[in-house]
Amino acid sequence: MFKQFISIIPGADFFMITSLLIFFVFFILVGIYLIGMKRDFVNKMEHLPLDN
Amino acid sequence: MKAINTNLEQFSYDNKIVLNFSIATIIWGIVGMLVGVIIATQLVLPAVNFTQYGSFGRIRPLHTNAVIFAFVGNAIFAGIYYSLQRLLKARMYSDFLSYLHFWGWQCIIVAAAITLPMGLTTSHEYAELEWPIDIAIALVWVVFGINMFGTIIKRREQHLYVAIWFYIATFITIAVLHITNSVQLPISFLKSYYVYAGVQDALVQWWYGHNAVAFFLTTPYLGMMYYFLPKMANRPVYSYRLSILHFWALIFIYIWAGPHHLLYSSLPEWAQSLGVVFSIMLIAPSWGGMINGLLTLRGAWDQVRENTILKFMVVGITTYGMATFEGPMLSLKNINAIAHFTDWIVAHVHVGALGWNGFLTFAILYWMIPRIFQTKLYSEKWLKMHFWIATIGIALYTIPMYISGFTQGMMWKQFTNEGTLQYGNFLDTTLQLIPMHQMRAIGGTLYLIGAIIMAFNLFKTMAKGHLLANEPAEASALIRNSVIDSKGHWHRWIEKRPIQFLLASLVVILIGSLVELVPTFMIQSNIPTISTVKPYTPLELEGRDVYIREGCVGCHSQMVRPFRSETERYGEFSQSGEFVYDHPFLWGSKRTGPDLHRVGGKYPNSWHFQHMKDPSSMSPGSIMPTYEWLYTQTLDTSFTKSKLDAMRTLGVPYNEMEVREAVQNLENQAMGIQKNLAENKIKIGANKEIIALIAYLQRLGTDIKINQ
Repeated sequence: MFKQFISIIPGADFFMITSLLIFFVFFILVGIYLIGMKRDFVNKMEHLPLDN
Repeated sequence: MKAINTNLEQFSYDNKIVLNFSIATIIWGIVGMLVGVIIATQLVLPAVNFTQYGSFGRIRPLHTNAVIFAFVGNAIFAGIYYSLQRLLKARMYSDFLSYLHFWGWQCIIVAAAITLPMGLTTSHEYAELEWPIDIAIALVWVVFGINMFGTIIKRREQHLYVAIWFYIATFITIAVLHITNSVQLPISFLKSYYVYAGVQDALVQWWYGHNAVAFFLTTPYLGMMYYFLPKMANRPVYSYRLSILHFWALIFIYIWAGPHHLLYSSLPEWAQSLGVVFSIMLIAPSWGGMINGLLTLRGAWDQVRENTILKFMVVGITTYGMATFEGPMLSLKNINAIAHFTDWIVAHVHVGALGWNGFLTFAILYWMIPRIFQTKLYSEKWLKMHFWIATIGIALYTIPMYISGFTQGMMWKQFTNEGTLQYGNFLDTTLQLIPMHQMRAIGGTLYLIGAIIMAFNLFKTMAKGHLLANEPAEASALIRNSVIDSKGHWHRWIEKRPIQFLLASLVVILIGSLVELVPTFMIQSNIPTISTVKPYTPLELEGRDVYIREGCVGCHSQMVRPFRSETERYGEFSQSGEFVYDHPFLWGSKRTGPDLHRVGGKYPNSWHFQHMKDPSSMSPGSIMPTYEWLYTQTLDTSFTKSKLDAMRTLGVPYNEMEVREAVQNLENQAMGIQKNLAENKIKIGANKEIIALIAYLQRLGTDIKINQ
């Protein structure tokens, strides 16, 4: 699917691979953050709407 | 070690601005729904097309704009202004900006309500407003942004709750979408041409159209759901972790899915495939959000039984789940082949609009208004009645539309045993749907009645209460550079920094946008040129503008898909190279009438002449409106030269002589059509608008025919 324009645009392979990397790295970071989130912080954030 | 500030600061929340936006929501909501009922009736009773200013093609965009930008838009601002202040423990940054935002937005709505019935439209769906209004929208949006970020900066709460992330993403993405999809070359004060043409224009438009659904109808409402639902149920959101994942996944993935509006069109195959893949992926974050909303009510379902406001929320969130499951399914090519261009899409849209946006708006208004008026709701009985009338209204609207869409999609594709189209006359498929359209009009009317009941109930509530315009509040000042959470994660770092957060959201939404848009703009081979495709003549170009003005694109596509059922009915399938001079593209998204891309040369001029005057004279039973004004109004040629000149600037290969002699050439061609009509005993001035429209219709799709 991508072969067609990867071969035509100069530097497109870099463009695509960078996009894919950003995508994965980003969600890995979000995943790490979610797993490492402290319970007290979660509690505090959850109750923000109820505290006003 | 924690640094704690014990100095409480006194301040107040601005409830007056919340009230203003709420009242505007109620009034514009009723107006938008009323126009919806009128256009639904017009599809059953064409006689309801009163005058040119009230004809279906012109007021259909009035309905969509009124509902999206006036009803939903004002509801978003009401909800954001209420929740933002409280989540940040701060009054809005500037009262002046709040009211500039409010009045600016209402002026834009009024400008839309005046210009759209006048036929002043760019024809991009949900972006029909002409360039001066587009500029006004951008300015008012910036005012809103400054006010929101000003409030965030002066906040007294260190962390930004997830609702605010959704508001920030809404702000930045709508700005990017609106600006990119509004790049036009003005011809006059209220006329312009898009700089994009054909396939590129289609991709930009549906990248915009799809993401307007995402970032105007979805993300701000998800933000409001995350604030108001816990408040209404008096319990925290089910999973804060899930809400974070929901946010990033949604904004990351949504932006890619636009091309699913253009399946089987002339858009390059790779772009269509990208749209499908990301549409399927979208189920995950969408349902993550829906589940998070519904599970917030875990252990509180007894409340739902008693509390009608929660009932509105539950139905609203459920319809969000339905629509966001259906959307990805509709993007599968085999389903899209049946559903696209039919009422199925209308049903899908209205499940989202009436259920998700409508019901959440109603719930939030019912919850907010008594609170800011320090009273109870005027009538619980009317509230319950509204809920049931509106719920039945949604069912009566959408179920017939699903049946209608499926029926029509199948009828278009039905062949006889001999291999000819079973329903060769398109009108047969339209007439089959009339009973379903009648039921839809009744469903829409019930929904409107519900909204009127709500207006009555809320205005009575306002009358019996007293507005707390400046609600007193107190909170500790925010300590800058606090040591609290100093060892926190990067996310905790970013959610304390709104500008960095905005930039991160911007990067996330730009990735998908650039991957889709850049190759289409850069690679010539994506749009193969066809040597026989020539620019429109001046008369055809003026006729095209009449076609745009009358909103013909609302009912007629110009995109023959590569199916046997379509090539049998219409002729050769549409190719991307045929649209290179189309500023804007006019592929359309709905076929209430047949596709017109190959209509050129299909009928004589006299047929078009009679048909536009009284469609039922040529197609008995037709539900198309009459266009009698085209026979009396003189074609305005004062901008013809400027139009050709503008097209030339945009890359359409007119030479200098063609531009200079544009009006002369226009008159010559018009006289040719006039003469041809006279041979059929039809007398009409060569300078009438109908002549230009006939010239355009007769040109459509003929470049390829010449080649054959």
